[in-house]
Amino acid sequence: MPDTVTKEVVDAFYDAFVKPDGEKLAALVHDDVRWTTRGPIDVLRFCGTHHGKAQVLELATKTLPTVFTDIKLVRESLVIDGDRAAALNFQTAQRRADGRVITYRFAHFFRFMDGKVIETTTIIDTFNAAEQVLGHALPRDGALTPPGATPPALDDLVFL
Amino acid sequence: MTLKPDASGPVVDRAFIEAYFNAFAARDTEVFAQYLHDDVRWTISGPIDVIPYCGVHHGKAAVIDVMARRARNVLGITHIAREQFLVQGNQGAALTRLTAQLRADGRTISYRIANFFRFLDGKLIENVSLMDSFDAAEQVLGHVIDVDDAPPLANGNIALL
Repeated sequence: MPDTVTKEVVDAFYDAFVKPDGEKLAALVHDDVRWTTRGPIDVLRFCGTHHGKAQVLELATKTLPTVFTDIKLVRESLVIDGDRAAALNFQTAQRRADGRVITYRFAHFFRFMDGKVIETTTIIDTFNAAEQVLGHALPRDGALTPPGATPPALDDLVFL
Repeated sequence: MTLKPDASGPVVDRAFIEAYFNAFAARDTEVFAQYLHDDVRWTISGPIDVIPYCGVHHGKAAVIDVMARRARNVLGITHIAREQFLVQGNQGAALTRLTAQLRADGRTISYRIANFFRFLDGKLIENVSLMDSFDAAEQVLGHVIDVDDAPPLANGNIALL
């Protein structure tokens, strides 16, 4: 029977990760953690798989502070089920290099073992994130128009 | 938009949520429609000029239209692999891998989707779908998106998480 993770543990993890507080984070991450972020690694270099506590701590305590300041997360949903937790977050941060504010939504799917994160899969709205990080729109050459369909009418264009 | 945690809300039976999600994953419009609240809000994050059914869809009729017509105009789903499925109270979250054929040219595309959803009065009131939209857009476009004019990556051109 797997452990049941609590909201308090998830909250503590996010608090340590965003600050970042390496000491507290180390206590909440399993030595054998596997941290996978889906996305274009040539634009968003943090994407890919990070394996082991040292790599995850480096991501949180070294990479992050050199990239962003004033990070804020708004949690839109948290679902806890046994040893797993899924969180939907909206991130706002300032890009340290030029002060631009970058916002995007991402989801974490966690698995915990012994009260520590052992596995994380991250899903980001990567098209949106990449455009903001690059500072310009990505090319849409070949954008899809379904067979027999006309381009979207104005009332189809509902923005987030 | 926020899927507000609703600790005071009634707990929805897990089997009920499973049945809802199975109908959604199977794109069984008739059964799926029975689970929708009249005031449902359905959000699909992504570039709407590349993937036309992305955006915010409000109301039962609009959500059914997305499933039954707008999404099907773009792709025909061949498989949904469920990787994670969590239920708590009146909320759920799922991580799935969608495989589909594009209607336009028959190419097969595949990408992961996260769904977060909430029930009210036994009906689905809110869903947020989040995908690796860069990957999905490249597959829909059929080519690599040119990011050559990206600024250097070494000193700070990195987003997080």
